[in-house]
Amino acid sequence: MQNLDDLQKVLIIGSGPTEIGHETELDSATVQIITGFKKHGVRTLVIDNNPFSVALEEIQPTNMYVQAVTTANVRHIIERDQPDAILPTLGGLLGIRITQELIENGDIGRFGVTILGMPAATLRQINNPAALNATLKEIHEPVIEAQVVSTEDEALGLVESIGFPLIVKPVAPRLDTNRTICENVDDMLDALNQGFAQSRFDQCTLERSVVGYKEIEMVAVRDVADTKILIAGLENIDTVGIHSGDSIVVTPPQTLNDREYQDLRDATFRIATELGIVGVIHIHFALNPNNQHFYVTKIAPYFTRGVALAARTTGYPLALVTGALLIGQRLVDIKLPSRFVKQTAIMEPTIDHVSVRIPIWPFQEVPDADQHLDTVMKAVGSTVGVGRSVEEAMLKSVRSSQFSPRDVLPSVSNLTDGEMISQLIHPLANRILVLIEALRRGYTPDELSELTKIDVFYFVKLQHLLKIEKQIKENPLDVDTLKDARYYGFGDGMIARIWQTDTATIRRLSAEADIKPTYKMIEPTAGEFDEHASGYYSTFEYENESKPLGDRTALVLGRGGNQLGPNSAAEYFTTEMLKQLKRAGYHTILMNTNPNAIGIAPEFTDKQYVDPIQLGDVLNVIKVEHPDIVIVPGNRHYLTRELGKLNLNLHVLPPDQESSKSQPKTATISVSLFVHKQHKIAVGVMDMIAPGMNQDIAQVTAFRMPAERAKADRLKLVEQAKEAVSEHQLTGMVQVLFAPKSKDSQQLTVVGIRPTRLTEMAFLSKVTGVNWVRMLTRQHIGTLDEKELAAIKIDLNSKRVALMNAVFPFQQLHVLNRPGTTDQEMGATIAFGSSEALTLSNLSDTEQLDKIINRTI
Amino acid sequence: MEKRYLILEDGSAYAGEGFGAGATTSGEVISNLNLLGYQETITDQIYHNQIIIFAQPAIGNVGINHDSYESILPTAKGMVVRDVTNISTNRLSRLSLDEFLQQHNIPGISGIDTRHLIRKLRKMDGPVKGSIVDVADAHAFDQLNATVLTNRQVDQVATPKPYPNPDTGKNVVVIDFGLKHGILRQLSERRCNVTVLPWTASAQDVLNLDPDGVLLSTGPGSPLDLGEGVLEMIRAVQAEIPLFAIGLGHELFALANGAKLEALPVEYHGSSHPIRRIITNDIIYATQGQGYAVTAKTIDRDRLITTYVDLINGTVQGLRHRDYPAFSVQFFADGAPGPHESRDLFDEFMEAMTARREG
Amino acid sequence: MAKVVVDAMAMQRALTRITYEIIERNKGVDDLVILGIKTRGVYLARRIASRLQQLENVTVPVGDLDITSYRDDIEHDAATDPTVSAANINFSVAGKKVILVDDVLYTGRTIRAAMSAVMDLGRPKSINLAVLVDRGHRELPIRADFVGKNIPSSQRERIKVSVSEIDDRDAVEIQQA
Repeated sequence: MQNLDDLQKVLIIGSGPTEIGHETELDSATVQIITGFKKHGVRTLVIDNNPFSVALEEIQPTNMYVQAVTTANVRHIIERDQPDAILPTLGGLLGIRITQELIENGDIGRFGVTILGMPAATLRQINNPAALNATLKEIHEPVIEAQVVSTEDEALGLVESIGFPLIVKPVAPRLDTNRTICENVDDMLDALNQGFAQSRFDQCTLERSVVGYKEIEMVAVRDVADTKILIAGLENIDTVGIHSGDSIVVTPPQTLNDREYQDLRDATFRIATELGIVGVIHIHFALNPNNQHFYVTKIAPYFTRGVALAARTTGYPLALVTGALLIGQRLVDIKLPSRFVKQTAIMEPTIDHVSVRIPIWPFQEVPDADQHLDTVMKAVGSTVGVGRSVEEAMLKSVRSSQFSPRDVLPSVSNLTDGEMISQLIHPLANRILVLIEALRRGYTPDELSELTKIDVFYFVKLQHLLKIEKQIKENPLDVDTLKDARYYGFGDGMIARIWQTDTATIRRLSAEADIKPTYKMIEPTAGEFDEHASGYYSTFEYENESKPLGDRTALVLGRGGNQLGPNSAAEYFTTEMLKQLKRAGYHTILMNTNPNAIGIAPEFTDKQYVDPIQLGDVLNVIKVEHPDIVIVPGNRHYLTRELGKLNLNLHVLPPDQESSKSQPKTATISVSLFVHKQHKIAVGVMDMIAPGMNQDIAQVTAFRMPAERAKADRLKLVEQAKEAVSEHQLTGMVQVLFAPKSKDSQQLTVVGIRPTRLTEMAFLSKVTGVNWVRMLTRQHIGTLDEKELAAIKIDLNSKRVALMNAVFPFQQLHVLNRPGTTDQEMGATIAFGSSEALTLSNLSDTEQLDKIINRTI
Repeated sequence: MEKRYLILEDGSAYAGEGFGAGATTSGEVISNLNLLGYQETITDQIYHNQIIIFAQPAIGNVGINHDSYESILPTAKGMVVRDVTNISTNRLSRLSLDEFLQQHNIPGISGIDTRHLIRKLRKMDGPVKGSIVDVADAHAFDQLNATVLTNRQVDQVATPKPYPNPDTGKNVVVIDFGLKHGILRQLSERRCNVTVLPWTASAQDVLNLDPDGVLLSTGPGSPLDLGEGVLEMIRAVQAEIPLFAIGLGHELFALANGAKLEALPVEYHGSSHPIRRIITNDIIYATQGQGYAVTAKTIDRDRLITTYVDLINGTVQGLRHRDYPAFSVQFFADGAPGPHESRDLFDEFMEAMTARREG
Repeated sequence: MAKVVVDAMAMQRALTRITYEIIERNKGVDDLVILGIKTRGVYLARRIASRLQQLENVTVPVGDLDITSYRDDIEHDAATDPTVSAANINFSVAGKKVILVDDVLYTGRTIRAAMSAVMDLGRPKSINLAVLVDRGHRELPIRADFVGKNIPSSQRERIKVSVSEIDDRDAVEIQQA
């Protein structure tokens, strides 16, 4: 490896638009690593075409390449800019694949670029099951024998020796691994067909299935001196056979004994050493519940959701440390910011709380997707519950995952027995509710464990929760029962619903009986040291560790886990808002349960509460912190209404879309204005494009700016827009929508005015170079400088055309690829070009659109 | 589940729910920060007469199994936990924690804010006494204050008579101070033909067996309570036979060779601390759990070399004799519970014995 | 077919133990110098010196001896004895306790040549031999004072030592010729 002391310029391969399998966790890690690199005097270049990327906001325009993340584009950057090193691990599998291709075609060697994080020999093996297995076998790590086949005949020949059920995997696939479990020959032939098409080498592997084994993930770090630390073990409640992103995950593992855990830790370390990984590594194991045997099932030496979860739930500064390791520092030498106890980086985390992560599904927005859970990931996000018992953590995470305005759990009591059993054996998305219902109907933990292969321990815990629920039902308004209920994670809303009263009554009862939450710190030393970590969670015990942050605090309520819709843009919004609040001198407090959020990085947030964002919990936090400002997101109507009843400095950001003046059926052009007092600043004139035939406004998911119109037309539209806005009360970022007067008319008329949507706000910020989220925030907190505002110059008629196009999960969910609606978006891409290249006629065709987005610069 | 109390000598009382035995007990209160391994911990004799507070909030999840005993008859005086599950169906397990504790008359108390306790205890210098009682009244506190922590601990837990652990390989004598079974398991894995001797054995007793190597085991309490006889035995044996000492054994080895010990203001029981192996400058992690440490400046450099150091608190974690193949470590080389990377110390021991026989 | 008889961790332990034994027998590290033989012995010598540095905070001088010879481990030609072809030793050995370090001890002829070379340089106080592997079949009355591992072998077998400084890993393997 090249001498890392000479490192001056590093190219980070970004991860592109958010999708199923990676949300905002990669962007979050990138932000923190860039910060670290900056401190060490390393210049960072980033290539990414994600318009909602916060990392792109953190670097100078000269270091940013807003281009499609493709091998060709990366190659050009390497050629032109000659970086000393390239960092693939923040780009997930995409980054790895691109770097693999660059090695293969000789570019890495030719330009003398060092690969950070692992030797080239290891990089070549990632995603190549056959090569990786060979390496693992050499170091005596147990693997599932995968045999490579190139034809159906070869596969048929192996069926005898491998047996069913078996798994078919494409070799070096173009997307995240698509593994298919096959019960018989027909299944296998189908899977092979798909697999050959997806493989870069037209090959597939066949292997014995370990479906039903326990799935345990281990996250570790390693430095150049071969010192290794285990950060966390993540136990999937659901067994192998359900993708770990779709499983409910608990950390630390609850059903392993020490020896099993240490065996996996040893294996993780051996593998990290053998592969020469520097930085973070995330390994999946399948553990046979009947003996102590395990198999290595997946090796991911890059940033993943599992890595983000390990960092969030331990409080270990994982991104910071990894950044230092990547540029060659040893764990023992890493200097952390002063708020950490000096040697936090080199202590192996031990924690005294339990965290449960629950997936969030897209099925409400994409109802035709198959809800059966299997080895292909379907969840679009996740949410975390933290507590001091498994019950408490589970219940808090389930509450956070339901997005129920009044914090109650939906019921599945209308399932027939037959349906229920079927769903137990062939799990669907709302897994945990079905498990609870089965217990309610009298199934014993042992029976359910037998049916689902889930460890009986979890059923014992769920049964305990049902027992408490029964206790609540039978003792209305009883204070001791209330205490028990809160102790184990029941929220105000749930208790109120069972007692058929309102949350105010519950709060009053709690106050009278002095039942109040104690907040504990999320830190990696289990109380041995006085860490000053920033994460807290609520529990009902003796000591409260959370002291009010002090003067001038702003409490920001997050959105919870990622869902379909403008959520990555919402994450961008929240983070930029936090930045602005900090700049204005506020101490920022974020309440959020999304382990992949960007806003929780210490650069942006001084303190976080990982608690359900529900009325009761929010009020508890307000009681401790007495914030000067409370900011609630616009889609939480009930919460906003209730909080509005109190004497708080409450702001609704992002703005509530329902405060729009009329929702038109269709719109073809919009004018965005920033309205403040008498100022109306024209920010941009955009074409609103609905790829596909229908121009329904819900299907407008692509935007072109400036709109393809004559200059004079654009200016006229701007004037019309300003007039329209004058008549209404809207301020801040406002979008005026236009559509043709009638079907054949060329003339445009105003059809609606609404607060600018999150996605478009991000787009406008990236294109105009002015951060409108920050402007909006400043307007709300009263620090907007009118002189500065007046001095902003926007070129509405720029020659450089920008295009933003939403990305949908249809392919990953195996449903028909069709024009999606705004509430089905998973992320978006942004592209720049000349107006000739980006004409409207090209953009209406989805294929053409794709080509444009992914073109080589 | 009845209401019970944990009371401390500073006058504080914590209400919780009892599990395990209903006995009323008193003892020194110790915090354990290991991530897993409650069974190994509760059966480790270093916790003789101690009440253990577990940092890990959910205990009992995997019941009690055959392979995780560190002793047959545990002598701890209580378990203090946040949340306990009484389950006995992990594939290895046969008993629930509750049943096990009842069998051995050890009380447990759950529903306690263990994080708070651990944070509070680490600010209190020196051993802290506590009791698990039914009623937290003046009488209970009186009893607690009158409790004297015993110094005859090794006597209570070590074997009074020799016994064998036969196998076909090297002949190893283990001097038992209340050993943890993890040690025997590591020796068994390496096929050692083990004879366990009581801690009162003389050097002649040891040499009469003509062993290839001698291992001084772990145990509870202070080495200063064990008298001079043991130290003489160590001095005589180390000059003749390869020696390996762990935990309490390490402390005795240090004393025998002229070093002094100090009581740690707060004991550390956990495996998070990086420990530097000085000779190769590597870092390993291992389970620690002792109340004393060798005082670095009292080490006679003509006799002993410091081989391991805890990077967090600077304590000496390993020693080696300059003139003889005799070495020791403060931490638990066998893991159980805890990291396994230090198990190669047993391999070192084996190789030292081989070299001695062949050389 | 090659079989690994000493893996990376075992090699580390062996070098560690040899280091401690050197300290034991020499009552300390004063007047100690280390000479590594051939290619791999040199790396092993440096590792031992590094360990001594870590433990005792003393820099023990290290030199190399390059000995051309027939391939000791495959065939002998009694007519050609190994000779020292180059010595990279920039310190005096007079009055010093010399530790010779080699990877494999076989017939002993290489060591004999090394000893002559050393004594030509000056009058050392003593010469000790440390080897990672002793495979038996001595043809001269030479014996190692510090041995990593004894690996009795037949003359048809080949013992291959790999060191991570120049090979891809640390290991000792037996290969059937």
